[in-house]
Amino acid sequence: MTETVSGAHILCRTLVEAGVDVLFGYPGGAIMPFYHALPEYPSLRHILVRHEQAAAHAADGYARASGRVGVCVATSGPGATNLVTGLATAHMDSSPVVAITGQVSRPMIGRDAFQETDIVGITLPITKQNYLVQDAAELADVVRDALAVAQAGRPGPVLIDIPKDVQNQKVGFVPSVGAQHAAPLPTASDDTIRRAADLIAAAKRPLMMVGHGVILGNAYAEVRALAEKTGMPVITTLLGISAFPEGHPLHLGMPGMHGEVHVNRAIQRADLIVGIGLRFDDRVTGNLAAFAPHAKVVHIDLDRSEIGRNVPTAVGIVGDARAVTRVLVAATAARNCDAWRAEIDGCRRPQDASFRGGMSPEAILAAIRDATAGNCTIVTDVGQHQMWVAKLFPYRRPNTHITSGGLGTMGFAVPAAMGVHLARPGEPVWAISGDGGFQMNMAEMATMVQEGLTVKLAVFNNGYLGMVRQWQQFFHGKRYSSTPIWSPDYVKLAEAYGIPGYRVQDAGELTDAVGRANADPGPALVEFVIEQEANVYPMIPPGGSLSEPIEAAV
Amino acid sequence: MTAEHTVDVLLDDTLLTLNRAVGVLRRRNLAVERLTLRPCGPTGVSRMTFVLNTDAATADRVVQQFHKIVGVRAVEVTTVQNHTPEEQP
Repeated sequence: MTETVSGAHILCRTLVEAGVDVLFGYPGGAIMPFYHALPEYPSLRHILVRHEQAAAHAADGYARASGRVGVCVATSGPGATNLVTGLATAHMDSSPVVAITGQVSRPMIGRDAFQETDIVGITLPITKQNYLVQDAAELADVVRDALAVAQAGRPGPVLIDIPKDVQNQKVGFVPSVGAQHAAPLPTASDDTIRRAADLIAAAKRPLMMVGHGVILGNAYAEVRALAEKTGMPVITTLLGISAFPEGHPLHLGMPGMHGEVHVNRAIQRADLIVGIGLRFDDRVTGNLAAFAPHAKVVHIDLDRSEIGRNVPTAVGIVGDARAVTRVLVAATAARNCDAWRAEIDGCRRPQDASFRGGMSPEAILAAIRDATAGNCTIVTDVGQHQMWVAKLFPYRRPNTHITSGGLGTMGFAVPAAMGVHLARPGEPVWAISGDGGFQMNMAEMATMVQEGLTVKLAVFNNGYLGMVRQWQQFFHGKRYSSTPIWSPDYVKLAEAYGIPGYRVQDAGELTDAVGRANADPGPALVEFVIEQEANVYPMIPPGGSLSEPIEAAV
Repeated sequence: MTAEHTVDVLLDDTLLTLNRAVGVLRRRNLAVERLTLRPCGPTGVSRMTFVLNTDAATADRVVQQFHKIVGVRAVEVTTVQNHTPEEQP
């Protein structure tokens, strides 16, 4: 049945049709027809952010936590350009986000109209696909297509730019009759699976490295089955954290620039690496020429362009992590790697002193773990605290660690945590930031209050942009150029926003403050005043080999 | 070793798809020796042909990136070693 409705209504209806239930956005001139129609669709909850960047990060957080598309909305010009960092973040971390932007009316495009910008051109390299809708008659198909593309195969962001007059244009609309069919994922050939299984059987020092693809593909059980059947130790990349249980005897930890010594040693000694859903990026491999010099690589990834892109591959398998790993488990003979695991254990170092004692990152994270019974989702920002959380937080459930990995976007945690909360209402969500990253998007506290979003905010305050300061200490002769950073009084700031604020300066106050913040019914902020010049150890210098870490002086 | 790689791309004849395709070359700062675009077969499909003078691994990576573009239907590479005459068919 065809109805005649405006483009704005078509947009709303196709979003409702697709099951979208929350939008993060900010209105403005060129998107007003959409906002005029929106109140007629109560199933579309709109979260009014304080900056469009936060809308994109929140949509990203929602997508990562729910496994469904996250949607953000902005007006033309500055609204659209403010989305760019969030879209680039989602692009680097394969997150299905759909951004909807208003555009100036068609007759005005190309005239440098007020708030006109070529957002389609700007976002070409950081989106999987984007559209400038030229006629409302195309809009329903474009929205359906965009939602499908964002999720298909390796997920990613998609942008739909809709001129204001197209939003007002009335055309015939036919509701969709059924769900779109996702394209079938590629499947592995028997031959490649057999060759991979043969390599696993023959290896003396095999390792598994698992990344974000395992979380995106929901391949937890299969990955665990492969590890347990073969005894292969498992390394989780930054975005693979929580894809494999932290306390499992086969779990080694995170590799790369801030990986533990035994993890990187294991890579350097391995004769086989079975990589699942990771892209061997430079923070993982260090100097590529020196990476895993003895290892053959079996690489399983949904994106064929990743196979062999960074490391030479003995067997490349293009396919879904879950489906391929399941077949590989069946094809692999049971074995153990006890001698190899003992060798790796021999490389373990005692934990670095800066992690222990008083207001150490470990003590703070233990307090959060205890207050939430280990059942929270942690969203981290970028920097030292991000590495401490990655190394120290004992994740119990899959997909409970969310961070900006590829783009390394400071300011990500606070808005992304709002999206995580909406995807997992009723579950504790802690956004952990440094004092630098927190100040980038702290205005979102207002969004949390206005929309009733229960996000707990942890600020690791050391008065520095700590990771940059650490690099300056190690590589720039301790010249702390522009890294000391002043902070407001966070407790008073929280109070100004109407939320409880706690400052913890002594380890003795940790349990009480974290417990109270966690129990508060709405958002709450805890500032942790930590040592000013603590470092993240060990560290592989940029471009260095995994064999040559900088370690803490004992 | 560098060689001449002729890359043939069948893709949707829309400006955005063409823009994305050229963007792959631009982002990698690749020296494109020739670039042609012409209609091909069914309506709405174009054939983009370009010649890269580069090593096989780089050419392969470019091809993989083209496969990822929404709207690209097929990619084919013909490689001509540089020491062979240009007059190959």
